Amino acid sequence: MLSKVKSFGLKGIEGFPIDVETDVSNGLPHFEIVGLADTAIKEAKERVRSAIKNSGYEYPAKRITINLAPADIKKEGALYDLSIAVAILSCNEEYKIKNEDKYVYVGELSFDGSVKQVRGVLPLLISARKLGYKKFIIPIANKEEASFIDGINIYCVKSLKQTIDFLSGEEELFPIECCDFKVLQNEDSDMSMDFCNVKGQAMAKRALEIAAAGGHNLLMIGPPGSGKSMLAKCFPSILPSLTFEEALEVTKIHSIAGELDLKKGIVTHRPFRSPHHTASTVSLTGGGANSKPGEISLADHGVLFLDEFPEYSRQTIETLRQPLEDGVITVARSNATITYPANFTLIASMNPCPCGNYGSKEKECHCSPGQISRYLAKLSGPIMDRIDIHIEVDNVTYDQLKSDERAERSSEIKKRVNKARAVQTERFKNDKNFCNAKMSSYQVKKYCKLDANGDIMLRNAFEKLKLSARAHDRLLKVARTIADLDGSENIEAQHIAEAISYRQLDRKYWN
Amino acid sequence: MDRIDSEFSRFLVFLSMFDNTYSKNKQLIELMGNDFSLKHFFRLNLEKLVNDKTISKMKSWADENIIENYFDSLKGKGITLLTSFDQEYPEKLKGLSDAPMFLFCKGDLSLLNRPSLAVVGTRKPTNYGRIVTEKLVSEIARNGIVIVSGLAYGIDSISHRKCLNEGGKTIAVLGSGFDNIYPTDHVALAEQIAKEGLLVSEYSPKRRATVYTFPVRNRIIAGLGDGVLITEAGIKSGTIHTKDYALDYGKNLFAVPGNINSELSALPNDIIKSGQAECVTEAKDIFSHYNIKKEKDRKESKNNFQLSLEQQAIVSLLQDGMKDIDYLTKNCGLPIYSFNSNLTMLEISGIVTRLPGGNISLS
Repeated sequence: MLSKVKSFGLKGIEGFPIDVETDVSNGLPHFEIVGLADTAIKEAKERVRSAIKNSGYEYPAKRITINLAPADIKKEGALYDLSIAVAILSCNEEYKIKNEDKYVYVGELSFDGSVKQVRGVLPLLISARKLGYKKFIIPIANKEEASFIDGINIYCVKSLKQTIDFLSGEEELFPIECCDFKVLQNEDSDMSMDFCNVKGQAMAKRALEIAAAGGHNLLMIGPPGSGKSMLAKCFPSILPSLTFEEALEVTKIHSIAGELDLKKGIVTHRPFRSPHHTASTVSLTGGGANSKPGEISLADHGVLFLDEFPEYSRQTIETLRQPLEDGVITVARSNATITYPANFTLIASMNPCPCGNYGSKEKECHCSPGQISRYLAKLSGPIMDRIDIHIEVDNVTYDQLKSDERAERSSEIKKRVNKARAVQTERFKNDKNFCNAKMSSYQVKKYCKLDANGDIMLRNAFEKLKLSARAHDRLLKVARTIADLDGSENIEAQHIAEAISYRQLDRKYWN
Repeated sequence: MDRIDSEFSRFLVFLSMFDNTYSKNKQLIELMGNDFSLKHFFRLNLEKLVNDKTISKMKSWADENIIENYFDSLKGKGITLLTSFDQEYPEKLKGLSDAPMFLFCKGDLSLLNRPSLAVVGTRKPTNYGRIVTEKLVSEIARNGIVIVSGLAYGIDSISHRKCLNEGGKTIAVLGSGFDNIYPTDHVALAEQIAKEGLLVSEYSPKRRATVYTFPVRNRIIAGLGDGVLITEAGIKSGTIHTKDYALDYGKNLFAVPGNINSELSALPNDIIKSGQAECVTEAKDIFSHYNIKKEKDRKESKNNFQLSLEQQAIVSLLQDGMKDIDYLTKNCGLPIYSFNSNLTMLEISGIVTRLPGGNISLS
């Protein structure tokens, strides 16, 4: 007896169809899976047998051969269990299984016959929908993430028995209903990380507002305990809300990495990733045996926060160059080359020197000048080139901590950010990029027109403040964002002047 | 020395290659007697004077061609070799017991004989040290006094930079040869000084800096300055060497008093208390020693700058000293964007200075 059902595999964030072909023939009892299956799939043999037996079905004492076609692509994971079990049982006419080849099956089986959740359901469904597949049977635990996809019929099952009953017409199942993303997003908003809880730090808040409005990367320099991490954590609260399309993108990656909150099923807010500085390069970029996405891809459409920036290994910092430039990372490994999106805003923080007290009013710094200069030199030119805004963050005084004054709410700042983003969307409607930070040098020339005063201001600034040449385009981009926030068509002198105040590391005063 | 025109001058150029101490060089010259030919040198018995390694090195380099090539390479690099036997050798150093026999110079040699002030201090100044150094140096440099210092981090580089910014002249005395400038962060500064001022070293170009070359070069700093000003230094600082040399040479010693709790004002306070140094609180205190009666004012352009109301609000908060950004933003009554842009404008026009740690002060 031969049967054939459909399942789906994942390569990076793209899914591809797999035919699960089963041949049950007479001979000595034997079970074989062919088609470049990994260990997890090979072990399906035991899971499938127990699940079939414990669901009250008869496991055929025959020669069973499973082929996962196409046979030349490597397949991994336990998500084919359900399709294999269905294929084996459909060879037995006693169970009256009909139309089993009309569905795509995804799910891992447990010994007791229940269907367990699998990783990567959302990207898989999105790819399958694109390829024209209409009906799916997935584990009930993956229901939430699947419920955001419309236009296809998705049936959720909790056990193998339920699946077989559904296929044989004994039990009726209904496709899941589509959820409204906006409702979920609003229900889910987290108010604890709000700028109104940050005391003082007016300068840093303004800089973060500009970074959010223009998509600029930002570096904070300040002594330990000055609230750098707190500021960074509040940053996502002033970023524009995720659109549904963006949310799907982000969820896809999180789903593959197994980082998805299964109760919610979709990422509703911009991700905030803060890998520790001992993180390996691979954990940041992605890779490993099965080329999983790394932290920078998980931060796609969100924020990558690197605390104690110079403490990361040199190699790790340098690998950020390509993603910062292109918004994608290509992970090439021996068995696969996969491109993951990595369109994040980088927020980095560092101490002014190894001991952290250089320039502090209260504490004395014990580092030698050479140590300080080596510490700062860890950030190479090319990386600094990609960070538009540098600011100093100073310790908050006791009075400021105790003061009852309420600062501006994140939602207020967000309104201004959204306005500035709208201006940019209009500006770049014919271009590929969507924010000021990603302008090419040609676009800088085209869109960053200075008025006469602005030009004089910039010239003076370069001469008097000894700005480095690489600061020039960065300054114009930041000034463009400031002008957008101001609702101004041209970049005026005061916009340039403000932008200059966010280029602290270009100044030569550090030694 | 412009060219090698005698056996004696050739022998001097030869000696300058080895960075021997002053006394060794002197003894070698005495040992040669009146015959300075290289042939004679080979016949000398050097064992008592220098170690075996140096002897074999000296013997292998005692060759006319090698010496000529070396001298030409100095010239090619724009380096002038001054010996204590030359006319141009600075008067200020001539009388000193341990004056260097060789001075490698790059830049404007005339600066060696101009009225000068050595400015020295800690490699890691506080914001206070930074402000007073900049303030004093700019006034002194504007009045035509050459600023001498050691190209180190901190007070040294602040003095050099401020002096050059004001259009003044400065001399940097290195603790290494010209090919091995230390710290490497200051290579660009050294190049600028070679162009607009003067670089001096008693070491041949290839010589690397070591721990003991710096205290030794401090005597040249003290020697080249008509006075020595210490703005900020700890009690165990290397600046002590410069101070001791200055006292030995009978130079005027000046010091800027500071907070008695500050470790980095310990040395200046100490030498003021003991009467070794004159207390300096304004540039005038120093000018009285230089026959400068009428001070030149700040450049006019700065005074022409019209302050807007916003800028006045910021400047008025800074009248009584350095403030941090948080204090200013809170008290100036301006929205943050306007504060930032006005602050930068004030900075560009040279009215305020930004200091590490988010601090602002009037320049």
